[in-house]
Amino acid sequence: MIEHGPLLERLLAGDFICAVSDESAFRRLEDDETREQLDIYLRPLNRRLATNDEGSVYFLAWRNIDEFARDQLSRQLADTVNSLLPMLEWLQLVQETLGRDGLAAPGDVLKPADFSSRSEDNQGLRERLERLATDPFFGSQSEQLDAQIKQVFKRLKEHGYLLQPHADRQYFVVTAKIDYLIDLVRFIRDEENLPIDDQAPASQESLL
Amino acid sequence: MMGGASDPHALESRLISTGVERLTLLGKYAEALMAGYARDEVPLAGLSKTALNRLLAARILWRPDEQGGVKLAPKVRELIAEMLADETRRHVNADVAETLELLRSLVQSYREARDAGEYWRQEQQLLRLRQEVDDLNGRFADAIDSLWRRLNSDFGFVSHLGDKIRENERAQKQIVRLLDGLELIDFTELIELVGGDGALRKLLVSGLQHQLTQHYTSLREVQRRMIELLARFRQQQSRSRLVAGMAAFLREHPGFAPGNYARRSEVPALVNRAALLSAAGAPALDHDADTRILTGLLHRLPRPVPRPEPVTAAGVAALQENTLAATRHQALKEDVERFYLSVVDGGGEPLSALEYLQQGEFEWGEEIWLFQVIAEHQGLPRGEQRAFRLRQEESQASPFNHLRLIHDVIIQLS
Repeated sequence: MIEHGPLLERLLAGDFICAVSDESAFRRLEDDETREQLDIYLRPLNRRLATNDEGSVYFLAWRNIDEFARDQLSRQLADTVNSLLPMLEWLQLVQETLGRDGLAAPGDVLKPADFSSRSEDNQGLRERLERLATDPFFGSQSEQLDAQIKQVFKRLKEHGYLLQPHADRQYFVVTAKIDYLIDLVRFIRDEENLPIDDQAPASQESLL
Repeated sequence: MMGGASDPHALESRLISTGVERLTLLGKYAEALMAGYARDEVPLAGLSKTALNRLLAARILWRPDEQGGVKLAPKVRELIAEMLADETRRHVNADVAETLELLRSLVQSYREARDAGEYWRQEQQLLRLRQEVDDLNGRFADAIDSLWRRLNSDFGFVSHLGDKIRENERAQKQIVRLLDGLELIDFTELIELVGGDGALRKLLVSGLQHQLTQHYTSLREVQRRMIELLARFRQQQSRSRLVAGMAAFLREHPGFAPGNYARRSEVPALVNRAALLSAAGAPALDHDADTRILTGLLHRLPRPVPRPEPVTAAGVAALQENTLAATRHQALKEDVERFYLSVVDGGGEPLSALEYLQQGEFEWGEEIWLFQVIAEHQGLPRGEQRAFRLRQEESQASPFNHLRLIHDVIIQLS
């Protein structure tokens, strides 16, 4: 068990473990036997290992959900819902700024410099970035573009959506916590029956 | 005796010389031909009338209708696409059925030549057979190469996800056609066809079987990977649409709040994320071995440097320093109060303590400033404290302890 000490500490501290955030720990967590061992350890702490549908990320869940846990989960859920729009807008902004096909996915590398160079000569992007950065979730107080971008990356790092492999180098890697966020969005859509369609319209196929 | 025209050697050498002559045309007019490949028509500006006629005679170019311009012949276009591995225009075409027909008739001719003892004709038929088998193999190998290239580049030659999905689906249909083509080759029939002839058997049965098995394996593998890639494309597409849809919904419905899933009898697994728990530790002296380690650590702590104080001046200097410190502290306190007042003046909008500090050109260090802003907030009477909302910008110093570093403090009116 001792070799899992640092991993357990990270899990207990609320970290999401994925192949990007900690590859070796993630490989160990993919092993059934290791997961069982960790679960036995976590039982007296009323916690268990949990993962998302794709199994791309591991985190701790309550084993038994008591009143205390419900209160905590309610608060957490409210926080997540409040941060949902800024997070989704950030995902869209990344896609558009970098001219990508899909959303930022685990393992993608993002550089703040790319965001500043592309929004410098695009007023539309510049304004959206500013609106996003000054949203209470990102909380930038600056009027400088670079400082705003820095703040956005900083907050995403704090929330575990981005990883900065070298503290002195300005590039970030998207973690699989983003998968969790997308799962949650899909879950809310399904639970609340929101009129959001994620399938391509059939006409696109019939054109073939 | 055979006449000159029907002399097979003479025929061969005439074919060769014409072929060389026509292949040379490809090199000689390469630029005009490539311009025709890139655009719709071949530009006639640089071509003389004779040159054009020779290119038409060699079927390198053709004229679809009398009024229209001159275009590359489809085979030449394909040849260029193959040479450039240009995946947007490369054709995948194994044409197995026709090749099989040809193989059957070539085997018949070969047999007749053998039975008639015409060795040269027999050799020629065997050569043609070998070329046809090579061609068939080459077509499969090319098609498979083209499929792998498209797969490995994630269909990078088209930029939109929708186009990638369509290209992937097209590639999958090609794979199915290629696999259907392989199905057409019936080795029982081929074994019967070649009979006891060793050379034919080696070419059409053992050799071909070996190569086709490899093609089959490759095609199955590329098919599997194409399906995976398509699933990934579709997942990407569905994620983008989901995020765009949800963002639009939330913008239109600012007051939207989903149900509190944490209050359900069955809490959905996805929202069950346990509160964080820190594994704290403190030095303990109840283990001998640990005591030694701790002693070692203690010895390695940096020693405080004792500052000699001149005894005689101690009384007055201390007093002066104290008064100075008190004055400075008062000034700091007043500056912080002014910061709180600016929050009120600013209509209660969030204001960063650090930015205020930097803009105001104060002489205070950042750390001392933030400390005083927090202290001021804590020192306010209850009612006033509630009026100001204080948010600390902080981060965890290290994943292994719960020391949090405060980078900035934001104050706003509640």
